[in-house]
Amino acid sequence: MVGMEHAWLLPTLPFGAFVLLLLLGPYLPRRGDWLAVGAVAASFVLYAFMLADLLGALDEGPFAGVASGIDWLRFGTFHVTLGFLFDQLSAVMLAVVTFVGTLIFLYSTGYMKGDPRYGWFFAAMSLFVASMATLVLADNLLLLYAAWEGVGFCSFLLIGFWHERRSAAEAAKKAFITTRIGDVGFLIGIVLLWREAGTFNLKEIFEFAEAGGYSREYLTLAVLLLFAGAVGKSAQFPLHVWLPDAMEGPTPVSALIHAATMVVAGVYLVARTMPLFDLADPVALHVVTALGLTTVLMSATIGLVATDIKRVVAYSTLNSLGLMMVALGSRDVTAAMFYLFVHGFFKALLFMAAGNVIHATDRQEVTQLGGLAAKMPQTAAAFGVGVLSMAALIPFSGFWAKDAILHGVSEHQNAAVTALVAFSAFLTAVYMARLYILTFTGRPRDHHAYEHAHEAPPVMLLPVLALAAISVVAGFWAFDGVGEALGFPGSIGKFVFFEEPVELKFPSAIAVASIVSVVAGLAVAGWAWWGEARPAQLLAQRFRPVYQLLWHKYYIDEAYQWVIDRIVLALGRAIAWFDRVVVNDTGVDGTAGLAAFSGFELKFLQTGRLPNYALAIAAGALVAAAVVLAVRV
Amino acid sequence: MIPIQHFLVLGAILFALGVYGVLARRSAVLILMSVELMLQAVSINFVAFAAYLAPQEFRGLIFAIFVITVAAAEVGLALAIVLRLFRNRATANVDEVDTLRW
Repeated sequence: MVGMEHAWLLPTLPFGAFVLLLLLGPYLPRRGDWLAVGAVAASFVLYAFMLADLLGALDEGPFAGVASGIDWLRFGTFHVTLGFLFDQLSAVMLAVVTFVGTLIFLYSTGYMKGDPRYGWFFAAMSLFVASMATLVLADNLLLLYAAWEGVGFCSFLLIGFWHERRSAAEAAKKAFITTRIGDVGFLIGIVLLWREAGTFNLKEIFEFAEAGGYSREYLTLAVLLLFAGAVGKSAQFPLHVWLPDAMEGPTPVSALIHAATMVVAGVYLVARTMPLFDLADPVALHVVTALGLTTVLMSATIGLVATDIKRVVAYSTLNSLGLMMVALGSRDVTAAMFYLFVHGFFKALLFMAAGNVIHATDRQEVTQLGGLAAKMPQTAAAFGVGVLSMAALIPFSGFWAKDAILHGVSEHQNAAVTALVAFSAFLTAVYMARLYILTFTGRPRDHHAYEHAHEAPPVMLLPVLALAAISVVAGFWAFDGVGEALGFPGSIGKFVFFEEPVELKFPSAIAVASIVSVVAGLAVAGWAWWGEARPAQLLAQRFRPVYQLLWHKYYIDEAYQWVIDRIVLALGRAIAWFDRVVVNDTGVDGTAGLAAFSGFELKFLQTGRLPNYALAIAAGALVAAAVVLAVRV
Repeated sequence: MIPIQHFLVLGAILFALGVYGVLARRSAVLILMSVELMLQAVSINFVAFAAYLAPQEFRGLIFAIFVITVAAAEVGLALAIVLRLFRNRATANVDEVDTLRW
């Protein structure tokens, strides 16, 4: 029987597809896309078996899953064991990776059709899924870090997939370097944890920490460094700048990597290491909350004015990631993972529906779209479901997850934080509705694009519709009855939790406030942008400085550019001067020059005349004798 | 018994003559002969010290034999070189043989 002990097979399947595609890709029929799709689908099937196995072993508490490992390094007393751990947390995350991954792979066979590097696309995507599955299943920080870099590398490859386009190459570079900044902190954090505990294994580190092995300050520093990695990967302020630019990649990449899976790896990491955050100084969780909340508000306001359809969805992703971080900052692992779970579905849906629009019209700017609901009704309907899920309208899945977060926040944080999160819900509804109105309703702004628009082919439409259906129902996992019917012990709160099973509650006060703010947001968007969008234009003119500030994304990119130009490059120039003048000219060339010069001068001693040499030998012998005598006396 | 100083003085004189010959002479054959003088001066010292310090042992004598052997071999080799030189250049004057230089 296939079960949890086969966890190692899950990353191996897509990795095998990657290797085969790389070696044999051009010789396979259809350039081997069926191999990649098949491998991911097979990992989903394997995942289903593993999940069934896990559900049978759930009585053992939070770390119910089976871990298996091999000795990887062993020298002296130092040894590293690498292994896989399949538990509730990885189960939720893997559901998104394998299931949404399969749908996106299917979708890609349509979206990427005719691309000159069609086969390479599927190879890189397979490698990504393999890295992502390893990241999720790793039972130790070292393997997790390796996979963490692996997904970052795949993200780099796929953002820069159309690297002939300069902007794509730049975006890939930006994403890689920006996340690397966080990863340096992550690595230092891992080393700090290992230095005291002597192990990379997560369970052992938790046990060590609970036994008081780390001092409080030391642990706080270590978890903040871990969080730095999460900030980079999950695009939290101030390292969020790479994610909107990452939209240069093909749309399936945005859907898989920059919406459903890789960007939530940071959330997963914090959820995974929550026992450490809990033992550390409360300031660590406050930092998580503060950065998450900043990201939420910043992205929600920028989303109000951005005009690129994919970028708006990217800002909504930032918004969602910030929300999950706020939930984690409130120690609410259940709410964060619940949101992560439903977010994977509706955000992939939004990206793929947006991809259909781009595919049909070849336009990305909403200023050139409009009225597309008539041309592509099914895509429009699916996008609408995604919008309402993201806006968290009852009964769409986003509502249940966001209310779980709001509930957790209201219980653990002060009123100001709760109010700001609720306000962000209003903003989310506004800009998501705006995006839908500008894209699918009103009069077409670019007639050429509109005339050529058409509904997407079935291979691109069916995954979108499937995700739309799931986005409607996935939120019902908030109820015990639904969970039990599916074989879980109850709602998601009884499956994924920190310390104690959670009873998900939806107090009417919060639900009403949430519904009111969402409806108000939808209404405001309808008032401002419906039809000719007159009120919106008037507002933009009236509050021009605010509009400019949002349009320029709070000038953060400009600020970073200034720092790079003025400080980093100046420092670089100074170091380059030192290297050129001191190290190279003086040190390296100087030594060689000295040897050449002395050789040039000393060669004149070689006269070739025997008497000269004889005289030199005699004189030398005399001197040596004199020295010996002098020393003796 | 003759005091050891006599032998040493004889050796020193022979050695100085040899050095003088090497430095002052220009003919390759004479330079070789001067080198022989220096070698025999050293041999005299060896034999003298051997007789005076440890008459029962032969260490100094063995060294003298070695010096003679090496000197014979060296002269055989060097004279062959001088002979080739003379065949090629029609001279044995070392001042005229200075092509091996910078």
